[in-house]
Amino acid sequence: MHAITYLRNMASRKKTLLKVIILGDSSVGKTSLMNQYVNRKFTNQYKATIGADFLTKELTVDDRTVTMQIWDTAGQERFQSLGVAFYRGADCCVLVFDVTAPNTFKSLDSWRDEFLIQASPREPENFPFVLLGNKVDLEPRAISSKRAQQWCQSKNNIPYFETSAKEGLNVEQAFMAIAKNALAQQNSTVDLYNEFPDQIKLTNTQKPSGGSGCCQ
Amino acid sequence: MVSPVEEQEKYLHDALGVVKAQAFHMKRALDKNKLMDALKNASAMLSELRTSLLSPKSYYELYMAITDELRHMELYLVDEFQRGRKVHDLYELVQYAGNIVPRLYLLITVGLVYIKTNSALRRDLLKDLVEMCRGVQHPLRGLFLRNYLLQCTRNVLPDTPDIEGDNPEGTVKDSIDFVLMNFAEMNKLWVRMQHQGHSRDRQAREREREELRILVGTNLVRLSQLESVTLEKYQKMVLPGILEQVVSCRDAIAQEYLMECIIQVFPDEFHIQTLNAFLKSCAELESGVNVKNIVISLMERLAAFSQRSDSIGGEGTQILQEVQLFEVFSNQVSSIIANRQYLPPEDMVALQVALVNLALKCYPDRIDYIDKVMLSSVEIFQRLGLEHLESHTPVAKELQKLLKIPLDTYNDILVILKLKHYAGLMQHLDYYGRKALSIYILNNTLENETIVPSAEEAEQALTLLNTLVTDKNEHPVGEMDMEELMEEQCLLARFIHQLKSDVPDEHYLILQAAKKILVTGGPLRIKYTLPPLVFQAYQLAYKYRKLKDERWEKKCTKIFQFCHQTITALVKAELAELPLRLFLQGALAIDRIAFENHETVAYEFMSQAFSLYEDEISDSKAQLAAITLIVGTLEQISCFSEENAEPLRTQCALAASKLLKKPDQCRGVATCSHLFWSGKTQASNGEEGHDGKRVVECLKKGLRIAKQCMDISVQVQLFVELLNHYIFFFEKGNEQVDVEILNQLIKKIKEELANLENSDETEQITKHFSNTLAHLKLRMESPEGDTPDAYKGIKLNPEETADETKEVAKKVEAK
Repeated sequence: MHAITYLRNMASRKKTLLKVIILGDSSVGKTSLMNQYVNRKFTNQYKATIGADFLTKELTVDDRTVTMQIWDTAGQERFQSLGVAFYRGADCCVLVFDVTAPNTFKSLDSWRDEFLIQASPREPENFPFVLLGNKVDLEPRAISSKRAQQWCQSKNNIPYFETSAKEGLNVEQAFMAIAKNALAQQNSTVDLYNEFPDQIKLTNTQKPSGGSGCCQ
Repeated sequence: MVSPVEEQEKYLHDALGVVKAQAFHMKRALDKNKLMDALKNASAMLSELRTSLLSPKSYYELYMAITDELRHMELYLVDEFQRGRKVHDLYELVQYAGNIVPRLYLLITVGLVYIKTNSALRRDLLKDLVEMCRGVQHPLRGLFLRNYLLQCTRNVLPDTPDIEGDNPEGTVKDSIDFVLMNFAEMNKLWVRMQHQGHSRDRQAREREREELRILVGTNLVRLSQLESVTLEKYQKMVLPGILEQVVSCRDAIAQEYLMECIIQVFPDEFHIQTLNAFLKSCAELESGVNVKNIVISLMERLAAFSQRSDSIGGEGTQILQEVQLFEVFSNQVSSIIANRQYLPPEDMVALQVALVNLALKCYPDRIDYIDKVMLSSVEIFQRLGLEHLESHTPVAKELQKLLKIPLDTYNDILVILKLKHYAGLMQHLDYYGRKALSIYILNNTLENETIVPSAEEAEQALTLLNTLVTDKNEHPVGEMDMEELMEEQCLLARFIHQLKSDVPDEHYLILQAAKKILVTGGPLRIKYTLPPLVFQAYQLAYKYRKLKDERWEKKCTKIFQFCHQTITALVKAELAELPLRLFLQGALAIDRIAFENHETVAYEFMSQAFSLYEDEISDSKAQLAAITLIVGTLEQISCFSEENAEPLRTQCALAASKLLKKPDQCRGVATCSHLFWSGKTQASNGEEGHDGKRVVECLKKGLRIAKQCMDISVQVQLFVELLNHYIFFFEKGNEQVDVEILNQLIKKIKEELANLENSDETEQITKHFSNTLAHLKLRMESPEGDTPDAYKGIKLNPEETADETKEVAKKVEAK
């Protein structure tokens, strides 16, 4: 209990670091969304992302200064040769699809499931996701807003935003919601420090490690 | 025993435990502003990265956990610096860390804080850091350390255009140098892995290298993210720098991955302007590199770009016109093929496939491009001396793909025919391959209902499809599968109906050209392929009759000569029933079209049919069928003068009476009777002949023959059939047929029917008979026309068998 009180105090005093992961099929606009939000820039040029990379952005949420670390990821699996260890410790997961490409909408389930398996958050059913339907500036539209909302409802009411990275439409609002959800997630799991006794366990488990010694 | 996977999990778990503990202490120390303690904890945490026990993936996980925690340190320091609580000599201080790995991670972290808080240090610090990282030469640790450097500096790389004079904040040029240097160092570490350790572990080592590749590739991503890298900078600095490293490292895994990486991370607009440099480097790669995949990947990307910019419009289209995309690729592909000794032929063809795809997507109206690819493919095969590629080989499969693309795109066999080198290229497939492709072409043409509208094209098409058309192939040994042959030929026959023109004269030329080729098919094929030609010719003749142009009669004569020849070709192939039918069909057409001298021609066709009947058809069933058809045809024809009609009619009657089996004779003769009634001639002015006497003679002869049948059941059956003939003529008003004859026949049938045993046959006959009587009864009750009394006196119920007839009547009612 002492540790938690201590931590709460600390959290109120210090800057908070939030980790957000953006997932979705290739060329739905993950990098563009991030660039629009962080740098307010957009380009029509297509550059594939390989591996995973992040940008940070400072913002104020409810009078608190928050540093948001936004992880942009490769939509193509072949560009993740080292696996997805960066999912771990995420505070919010942003799923993106292209409203003009039905396949990218169909993939959402598998992206969500994959994230929950790999990141293994403590309470998968309450882990915050945000869904972005990007490229609303383009025609013709393949996924209606109603259909996307139905999907969100079926997944425990995920917030949904229709965005255009190109025109900057709704991007700010979406990331604000992402930050709020991430922050709520972090506050609810702030008792992470309760895991501290692990260290005691560690010394216990280190004892039998002599077993590996006899193999040498 | 612990499995290697479990072992890895344990090592990782232990390391992560230490990280968690040290990170906790570090953060607590930071909260208490005890920086030195925090640095000590951070250093201890980072020491876990010195391990040699972890696989790349596990190491990555550990690295992620640690760098996540290090960010708290960074955040703290930035915060402190911004508040003006600068720690003096921190950059020097962290260099006292005991071990090089933690020392450099801390140095990078602190260096980043310095840069963030004082941009004047940026250029020198970046240079310093990238140099200092040379201190770690262990590949795995070095790669991750440099990846950390790359990740940390992402937000602080100078990204402004070059400016004159000294510039401590740095410009984009400094960023390019920084990343290129880091890239070169990482690539060296990565390549060195290949040469460490035992050769038996090579596979495992290569797998690990494949996993680590994204770390090296991230350098290229970073370069592509620099906004001040203009096309010019890319052309002059970035791409040459990367390519130099790629080519000179002489490592197949690195080369293949990095080339692919360049394609993916840089925009199309850059690729289009640097094709030659890129492709030239492709030709210089190690022999183990799959250059085909690299080049194809680039072509596919640019083809997609072309389509995308087409839909958006504007600059993309313009660039494509300026840069001769196809020419550049075509030339570079040729030189790659010429210079790379170990390129398998299927890869050469796959490159051609990609070229065609590129041409079709970027320049859909440039058929000459496709032809050029076809030609260079032919040249490749000729140079390699490859002929008759066996169907199941990879190169043959690629070639099939190549040949199908234009068809799949244009869905038009005529476009294929315009390609000068298509047929030549197709020749490099073996017999089966060509046949399979021919069938594919046929199906495509039929599905799209493509019309082949000229003699020249028809000839080209049939030559292209020669595996199906002629038997003069290098025939594969072994039995021919008749069912397969039938299927193919039916397809071909359907195709022949697509050979036609709206211009009748051209249509005729098409038919002539097609015939010339199709007759080479041999007896097995022509029975499927010539009939459609003949039918088309008949239709054409009808068309001329409708048009009635100046020389239409001469043209019709020619058409029927053509038909005669064509049918004769079938006769020569020892076919009989088919040409017989075609002659009869022809006679009908000639009669209808009524051109000059048509009587002679019709007579010729009829007499040909007769000769076939007499000389070639020996099976009795076929004979009956044939004579029935001949009679039916003759009955329809009205163009004959009495001089020609009489011998034909007599010939029919004679032939019918000479049939082998009595029942056949009876039926044949009965059929002939109609010739004398409804047959028309010139003599009768095209009216029906109505020779009632001859009709009755035929029917009487029929009765006589029927009586000669030994089987009573057959006899009765024939009687019933004859009764029907009699009734027909009775109703038509043949005065030679009277009530008396009908009554006699009905009585006779009733008597005989009573003697028949019960059987399915008897039942059939009874039904036929009772239906006949029912018909008569109906007529008697409601006589039509001007002969209301004609039916008077017909006895449906002769006294002797009154009961039976009642029964019959009952049955009729039941119906």
